[in-house]
Amino acid sequence: MVNYGGDEVSALVLDIGTSSLRAGYAGDDIPKAVIPSFYGYHTVDGDVQMGENTLENFESTPKPPPSDAKPYVGRDGPLIWRENMELGNPVRDALIVDFNPIPTLISHALVDVMRVNPSEHPVLVTEPAWNTAANRERMAEIMFEEFHVPAFYIANTGVLNAFAAGKGSALVIDVGYAMASITPVVDGFVLRKGLVSSALPKLVKAHARHILSNPTPMRRGIELLPHQLIASKLPVEPGAPPKFTLREDRISGTTNSWRGWCENREVEEWMQSVAGVLDQGWNDQAAASRPARQYEFPTGYNTYFGPERYQVGEQFFFHSPQLVAQNPNLPKNIPTLLSESLRACDPDLRQVLMGNVVLTGGGSLFSGFADRLEAELSRNFPHVKIHAPGNPIERRYGGWLGGSILASLGTFHQLWISREEWQEHGKPIVGQRCK
Amino acid sequence: MAVSASDIRSALSLPSSSTPVQSATTAPRKYQGQVTKKPEGISRELYALIGPSAPSLVAHLAKPRLKQKPNFGSGGKVKWEWRPFRNAGRTDSLQLGHWVKTTDDPDAEYSFAKYNVQSQSYTYSQEEYTRFLEDKDWTKDETDILFNVVREYDTRWYVVHDRYEPPPDSPTRSLEDLKDRYYSVCRKLIRNRPWAGDEASKAQLLNSYQFDKDRERMRKDYIASLEDRTPEEIAEEEALFIELKRLEQNERKFKKERDELLRTLLGIDSGLPDIVAEEDGLSALSAEGFKKRKKNANEIEIPSTPSNIISLGPPPPKRAQSAKSAALDAQNCIIRVEPPASSATKITHAPVHLRSFKLPAPKAALLPKVTQALTELGINHTRLVMPTRENCARLESLIEATTALIDTKKVVDRVEQDIRVLRVRLGRASEGAEEDGKEGTPMEVDGGAEAGADADADADADAEGEVDGRAQSILSTRSGRGRKQSRRSMSVSSIGTSASARVGKRQKRG
Repeated sequence: MVNYGGDEVSALVLDIGTSSLRAGYAGDDIPKAVIPSFYGYHTVDGDVQMGENTLENFESTPKPPPSDAKPYVGRDGPLIWRENMELGNPVRDALIVDFNPIPTLISHALVDVMRVNPSEHPVLVTEPAWNTAANRERMAEIMFEEFHVPAFYIANTGVLNAFAAGKGSALVIDVGYAMASITPVVDGFVLRKGLVSSALPKLVKAHARHILSNPTPMRRGIELLPHQLIASKLPVEPGAPPKFTLREDRISGTTNSWRGWCENREVEEWMQSVAGVLDQGWNDQAAASRPARQYEFPTGYNTYFGPERYQVGEQFFFHSPQLVAQNPNLPKNIPTLLSESLRACDPDLRQVLMGNVVLTGGGSLFSGFADRLEAELSRNFPHVKIHAPGNPIERRYGGWLGGSILASLGTFHQLWISREEWQEHGKPIVGQRCK
Repeated sequence: MAVSASDIRSALSLPSSSTPVQSATTAPRKYQGQVTKKPEGISRELYALIGPSAPSLVAHLAKPRLKQKPNFGSGGKVKWEWRPFRNAGRTDSLQLGHWVKTTDDPDAEYSFAKYNVQSQSYTYSQEEYTRFLEDKDWTKDETDILFNVVREYDTRWYVVHDRYEPPPDSPTRSLEDLKDRYYSVCRKLIRNRPWAGDEASKAQLLNSYQFDKDRERMRKDYIASLEDRTPEEIAEEEALFIELKRLEQNERKFKKERDELLRTLLGIDSGLPDIVAEEDGLSALSAEGFKKRKKNANEIEIPSTPSNIISLGPPPPKRAQSAKSAALDAQNCIIRVEPPASSATKITHAPVHLRSFKLPAPKAALLPKVTQALTELGINHTRLVMPTRENCARLESLIEATTALIDTKKVVDRVEQDIRVLRVRLGRASEGAEEDGKEGTPMEVDGGAEAGADADADADADAEGEVDGRAQSILSTRSGRGRKQSRRSMSVSSIGTSASARVGKRQKRG
């Protein structure tokens, strides 16, 4: 036991991201519960619930605030069409902005999915590097006061991602659902001056959506309808207009937030299966030489996507000057972020960091991303080594995995903020302990 | 034989009762010897062929014996139990639980508590601050903040620099500023506080807190400037580097070819880089000769080095001795001797050698006498305990002085003998013929001087003039000897050198 430094005290690890919330036992290699961070709710009180979901959602959960009555959470929450169901997300740009539905979400993951009693387990929660002090104190408060955990710790996702890669010092490139960030980590501490982030993935998604919904000479604009709104469809030839019937009964009861989320999901799905990025920078010939790929949308419309599928990924690495001129608030691309981050670091450190680049986050699974990043980096830096786990689980849940490692270390157990300390010192203890 | 023996017995009617018993016992014994047990792993036919005389093969073919299976523990089940524990590294009473073997000691201290090591850090009192630590750049508040941050992050300087937040009205500090302040305060505290240990350990501790701010800053600037190079600059630097390598290679090639040419044209085994080649000799070049020489040229050529130094490989020609390398030489006691410019014959070619192998020795003709003289003085010249450069030089001069002494003594003896003879003749002449003495004296003196020169045995052709000069009078011999001595002290150390110089000259002329 002592040999590998692990000592499992059956701690729980909770990683709340923009797209999903991950929970599991420390020491495991995958989270036991992965539920979407999005949740559905009805603004009108006393609304009729969909019968099949009542059991899942509302047993033994703390009562949500009356304004957000009865949120639908979990795998059967936002995905299921409900009349007039609005969609909310407590997390915006990786930061928790609305704490009201958080206890419900956590409780769903821990109690309903994992079937554990949180008051029996120490809990380690993750936070983005740019989290505010008020936010982490609020999180500690929720865990101690509502879940009655015996001990609590909040750790930085950047550091945890470095730990998941087995490194104490690393340059963590985290491309998530909404945010791309670059975090220099030295000896397990984030260098806050070198921390940079931008809402790049959002831009890429917007670009992809733009490509899909706008008609081109080759094809018409694509209707991004989710399958929940489609009653029936017939197979059609590639490029032919789709033949489908809408569920007219549902159209009127569909809220904009839910529909917008569903359309985004369609775009993401298209991106994940078809879009990519060229590994050596944009080149019309190279893009044209790649084979076109077929993709079918829920409406039944299907077509082949040629070079345009590579334009999407290009947004991660290169923004045309006119685009930058038009949008002064354009999210910075990866090379810009990198150089900004490195410039803020000590010259001595740059070499160390470039030798320990950790690529993580679900967004980094974008086809060709790692190769392109490697090409970009090795063009500018002499000795670059990128750690990009091939296993998608490790890439997507790197933060959780690092937390799982950290919370199962024997030497870590003196860092927990215990209930006793919380009651004695109050909120400031969080800032003192979790540096 | 057994049969004939029994026949004889029967013929002699000797009792043959023992015979059948013997033959009965010998036969089975023979049989047993033939079928010694066949070892396992060999086929019967093969064994019949090789017989029992293959023990190694038998051992080889013996059935392998597998390693015994490891025995984990006592074989019984290990019982684990969930047991709450307290961590000695914590200040509160948090109780966590973990699974442990039931056999483990329940009262044992938590095994990971021992890793809770606090780094040692310095603190100072107000009084100490006012006495030693005042600094015009730093206020006490700022120093306090710095020390707190350093303690909090265990002197991880990059993190300290990242987390350090100066008071509102103070300047922004670079990492070097922070380090400099911290280490200087620590140094002052160590110096001014009473020290329990010895001075050496104090100096060592002080040394560990040494920090050179300007140097660090320069280093960082240098790193930054390296990183700030544009791709064009990097490409240019690389191109220049490759160009330099190419030039060097060309130079080497050119030198090699020139040497080959030289050898071909002039027939010298020239390893020397700086002999000037003559262009008009080119026509003499024959293809055959060229090929032949080329083989020689491929051998490694080491320029000759003077005999009494440790030569450090072939020194490159015309080495530009920078100030730095000179300093380095002085530090490491390396004495570089320029190889004599014109010596390059096979005779003078000297590989790397130890100085002690080339101790100066007196000439063979004079060796017994020199040895005798030195033994009289109680000096052993055959062995130098410390053959340093200086000692070698002194031994050389000692041997020279001894040789000179012996020469002088010989001359003196001879002259005295001559004088004695002449006196005798003079006495005889005064008695008899007077004209004989007049003619004989100069001739005999001349001969004596020449004999001395011969004894000298220095085969220096240039000394002819001196011999003439010496022949002029007896008295001038000594002064001439003195001159010669100074010349010879040079020539002893470089016999080959002057000889080869002549050879070189001659060859050039040819």
